Amino acid sequence: MKLRFKRLVALSMVSLLTVLTVACGSSTGTTGKSEGSSESAGRSDDSKEIIFWNIGTENPDKEIMTYGVDTFNETTESGYTVVSVPTQNDTYKEKLVIAMSSGECPDMYTSWSGGPMNEYVDSGFAQPIDDLFNASSLPDTLMDAAVAQASYKDHIYAIPMLNVSLSGIFYNTEIFEKYNLEVPTTISELEAVCDTLVENGITPFALANGSKWTGSMYFMSLAARMGGLEPFADAVAGTGSFEDECFIYAGQKIQEWVEKGYFPEGVNSLSEDDGQAKQLMYQESAAMLCCGSWYTGTFSTDSAEFYEKIDWFSFPSVDGSDADSSIQIGTVGDQFISFNCEGDKLAAAFECVSTYSSEEAVQLMVDNGKIPPVKTVGDYLTDPITKKILQAANDASSTQLWYDQYLPPAVAQVHLDTCQEIFGLTMTPEAAAAKLQEAMQSDLAE
Amino acid sequence: MNEKNISILVQRQRSTRRAATIFLAPVAILMMVYIFYPIISTFITSTYKWNGISAAKEMTGLENWITLIKDTSFWIAFKNNLVIMVLSIVIQIPLGLALATFLDFGKKKLTIFKVIWFIPLLMSSVAIGFLFTYALATNGGMISTISKFFGGGNIDLLGNPKTALLTVIAIICWQFTPFYMVYFMAAFTNIPYDVFEAARIDGATRGQYFWRIALPLLVPSMKSAAILSMVGSLKYFDLIYVMTGGGPGTSTELMATYMYKQSFKTFNMGYGSAVAGGMFILITMVALITMKLLNGKKQEV
Amino acid sequence: MERTIDKNADRTVDRTMDTIRKNKIKKVVYWGIAFVLAVFWLLVSSLPFVFMVMNSFKEKFEMLVSGVFSLPAALNLNNYKEVLIGNFGSYFLNSVIVLAVSLILLLFIAACASYPLARFRFKLAAPIYALIVACMSIPIHITLIPVFKMSQSAGLYDSIWALIGPYVAFGIPISVFILTSFMQQIPREIEESAEIDGCNKFQMFFQMILPLSKSGLATLAIYNGVNMWNEFSFAYTLTQSSENRTLPLAVWEFQGQYSMNTPMIMAVLTLSLLPMIIMFILFQDKLVKGMTAGAVKG
Repeated sequence: MKLRFKRLVALSMVSLLTVLTVACGSSTGTTGKSEGSSESAGRSDDSKEIIFWNIGTENPDKEIMTYGVDTFNETTESGYTVVSVPTQNDTYKEKLVIAMSSGECPDMYTSWSGGPMNEYVDSGFAQPIDDLFNASSLPDTLMDAAVAQASYKDHIYAIPMLNVSLSGIFYNTEIFEKYNLEVPTTISELEAVCDTLVENGITPFALANGSKWTGSMYFMSLAARMGGLEPFADAVAGTGSFEDECFIYAGQKIQEWVEKGYFPEGVNSLSEDDGQAKQLMYQESAAMLCCGSWYTGTFSTDSAEFYEKIDWFSFPSVDGSDADSSIQIGTVGDQFISFNCEGDKLAAAFECVSTYSSEEAVQLMVDNGKIPPVKTVGDYLTDPITKKILQAANDASSTQLWYDQYLPPAVAQVHLDTCQEIFGLTMTPEAAAAKLQEAMQSDLAE
Repeated sequence: MNEKNISILVQRQRSTRRAATIFLAPVAILMMVYIFYPIISTFITSTYKWNGISAAKEMTGLENWITLIKDTSFWIAFKNNLVIMVLSIVIQIPLGLALATFLDFGKKKLTIFKVIWFIPLLMSSVAIGFLFTYALATNGGMISTISKFFGGGNIDLLGNPKTALLTVIAIICWQFTPFYMVYFMAAFTNIPYDVFEAARIDGATRGQYFWRIALPLLVPSMKSAAILSMVGSLKYFDLIYVMTGGGPGTSTELMATYMYKQSFKTFNMGYGSAVAGGMFILITMVALITMKLLNGKKQEV
Repeated sequence: MERTIDKNADRTVDRTMDTIRKNKIKKVVYWGIAFVLAVFWLLVSSLPFVFMVMNSFKEKFEMLVSGVFSLPAALNLNNYKEVLIGNFGSYFLNSVIVLAVSLILLLFIAACASYPLARFRFKLAAPIYALIVACMSIPIHITLIPVFKMSQSAGLYDSIWALIGPYVAFGIPISVFILTSFMQQIPREIEESAEIDGCNKFQMFFQMILPLSKSGLATLAIYNGVNMWNEFSFAYTLTQSSENRTLPLAVWEFQGQYSMNTPMIMAVLTLSLLPMIIMFILFQDKLVKGMTAGAVKG
C-alpha cells in the first residue's frame, strides 16, 4: 500500500510540474503573441536606442551599413542612437523569424522586399511610412522603380538603399573575339554563339545550380522575353496560370540547352555559394554567366585584371515574340529597410535611413561596385559595365523582382525546386508548371 | 520472515528512492525547462495555422496532422532518413569498431593514427561541405579524375537523384565514424585487464581474444552505439542542408530539413511544428522498439 | 620449401615448427593488411583537413583559378594575420568559457543522473530511462524559439551565459544514455563490497562509480566538447553583439550575401580546429590510462 502511495505521489508531482511548465509556457507564449508588436514597441519607446538588424557582416556591405549608422549617430539631433546588429545572410531570415515569433522584432531591419516583406507587414512588424516619405526629399531622390518594389497594398513599407541588380549576361570578351562572336540580340543568335562555343570545347554558360535560385535566372528571363510580365502577374493574381505557354517555353528551352551541353556537366551539384560558377569564368572554361549584376562587384574585387575582360548584355529577345524586350528582371534596391517603431523613434530611424541616399553614401557605394537606387546615380558611375546596367534599368518599361523573392514564400520554394528538376531533366516543363500552379492555387485559396 | 527484516528492506528502498531523487533532480529540472517545454509548445503550435511571426493564429485542430499523414514529401523524407539510418549503422559501427580494435592491439605506438582518425569529427560542416563539393564536382572533381584514370567518364554524384543520397551518406559516415571509434576505445578499456591477462595465460592469440572474449563483452556497447547512430541519423540535418538543401528534387530531403524549410523558410510554422512533432514521435518509437528488441534478445540468451 | 623440410626432418618437431611459422606468417600478413587499410583510412581522414589548411594559405582568386586541390603558390600568412587582427581573440575566449563551464556542468549532472538509472533498483528507473531516450530524438530547431523566449525573459539574451543552459540540456540525453550503459558494465561485486564497508550511496558515487566511469566520461567530454565548440544555431540565436559571439560565428566576417572569402574562412576554421586537436591528444590519452589503472585496482 505504502509503496503504491509513494509512487502515486511521485507521479502526480511529475505531472504537476509538467502542467506548471506548460501553463507558464503557454501563458507567456500567448501574452507574448497577442501583444507582441505593441509590447515591444511600447518598451522600445522608453529607450533611446534604435536596434537595426542587417546582413552587413562582410566588407564592403559592412562598411556601407556602418557608414550610415555612424553618420546618423554623429549628426542627429533626435536624441536617438542607432545600434547596428549584423547577422550573416544565410541565418539572418531565420533569426528574424525567431525574434518576430517572440514579439521581439528589431526597430529597423533589412529585407529583400517581396513575399517575405509582405509577411512581415501582414503580421504587423512593418509600419507604413508614406507620410514621412512624402514629407522628405526621398521621392525626388529615389528611383520610382525602387519605391515600387518597396510598396505593398498601396503603401510604402521600406526604403530601398543598396544596389540595383538586374539579371543579365556577363561574357568574356577575349573568348568572344577569339571565335569571332558577336553579342547576340535574339535567342537564335545566342544559340548560334553557344553552338560555336560548344564546338570549341568551351561551356557556354557558367552556372552552379545546386543553389537553385541561380537556374531560376534563366527561367525568369526566358519567360519574360517570351511572354512579357502579364502572364506572371496574372498567375500570381489568380487570373492566369503558370501553365501559360511562356513558362512552358522557358522550361523547354532550358532542357534543350541542357541537352546541347550549354551548361556545365552536373550543373545541379555545383554550388554558387562555394564559387563554382565564377571559377568556371576565371578558369575561362566558360564564356558567359547569366546572373544578377552584383557580379560586377564580385569580379572586380576578386581580380581587377579579369574584370577588364568582361562585358555585359541584356538577355536577348525571343524571335517572333512581341514581348517588350526592355523588361528587366531584378531588384531595384537589393536591401530594403523596414521599420517597426512609432512616433519620434520612427522619425529618427527614418532619418538614419535617409543618410544612405546622401551624396557621400552614394559615392561610397559606387566606389564599392554598387548602383544605389537613386535617380542621380548615373553622375557618379565611371565603370562602363555598370553604366550599361544602369541604362538598361532606366530604359526598362518595368522591372520584375526575382520570382523566388516576389512569390509567397511557400510558392517560391516550389518554383525553386521544380526549376532545379527542369535542369536535371527529371521533370518535364509541363509537370513543373502544373506543380507550381497547384502551389500557387493552394496559396491563393488561403 | 520477521518484521525487523521487512522494515530494513523498506528502509533501504526508501533511502534508495531518496538518493535517486536527489541524483536525478538537476537533470529533471533542466529537461523540463529546455526539452519538455519546447516539445509541448511544438505540439500546441501544431494545432494552429500560423505563419510563425504574426500575433494572429488560427486554431485548426488536427488539420496539420491530417495533412502530414497524407503528405508524400514527409514520407519520402522519412524513407530517406531510414536509408541513412540503416547504412550508418552498417558502416559506422563496424568501421569504428575495427579502428578501435586496431588501436587497442597497437596500444600507445599508434597514437598518431588515433589523432588523425579523429579529425573528421572535429571539422566544421562549412569546411566539409565546401571541400566535398569541389571534390565531387562532375568536371575536374577528384572522383571524376579517378574514374577517368581508370578509363571511365565524368561522374555526377550529387546532382543525380539516384546517387545523391548515397554520396552524402558516405560523407556522413566519414564524419561520424571517429565518434564510434572513440566510443569503442573507451569500451575496450572498460574490459578489466585481468580478463585479458587470463586469456593470455590460457594461450589465446590476439585474434582469439578479440573474437571469443572481447567481442562478446562489447555487445552491450554495440547495442548502445546502434541506438545512438539510429537516433542521430533519424534527426540528421547539418551536411545535407549545407550540401544539397534536400535536392535534387526530393532525393535527399530529410525530416529535419523538411521541417526547417516549412518552419523558417516558407512561413508555415504551424505545419512545420506538426512535422517536428511527427518526427519526434517516429524517432522515439523506432528507438524504443529497437531497445525493447535488443534487450529482449539479451534475456532469451 | 615446406616439402623439403617435410622430407628431411622429424615429423612432430616439424609440425610445431610449421604451425609456429605459419602463425607468424599469418600474423605478419594480417598485420600487413591491417596496416595498409589503416594507412588508407589515415589518408581518407586527413586529406580534407590537409586541403583545408592548404587553402587557408591561398588568395581568393588564386584558389579559384588554380583549383581547390592544388598547392598554394606561396606560404602566404596574410590570411592568418588578418584573422588574428580581427575579433578572433574575443570569439575564442568566449568559446573557451562557454565550453569549460558547460562541459563540467554537463558531465557532473549527467553522471549524477546515470548512477541511479544504472545501479539502483527502483520501479521508475525504466520509464525515466525511456523518457531520456525519447529526449534524444528532439529536433534542435524546434527548441530555438522557446529557448530564445526564455533567454529573453530571463534577461540572458545577448550574453554567453545564455548558451550554457541549452548546451548542457541538449547534451544530457545522449550523455545519460552513454554513461548509463557504461555504468551498467561495472561489476556488481565492487559495489557490494563497498556497501558492506558501510559506504552510503553518495560516497559510493564519488569514490567508486565516478572514478570507474572515467573512460565513459572521457568519451562524453570529447563528443560534447566538439559539439559545443562547433555549435552554431544557439550561438547566433541567443547572441547579437560581436563581443558576445563564439567561434563558429567568426566566419561571418568573410561571408557576404553573394560571395564568400573561402581562404579566409579556411584560416578561421583551421585556427578553431587546432585547440580541439590538442585537447584531444591531451585528454584522451590521460583519461583512458586512468581508467585502466582504476579497473586493475578494483
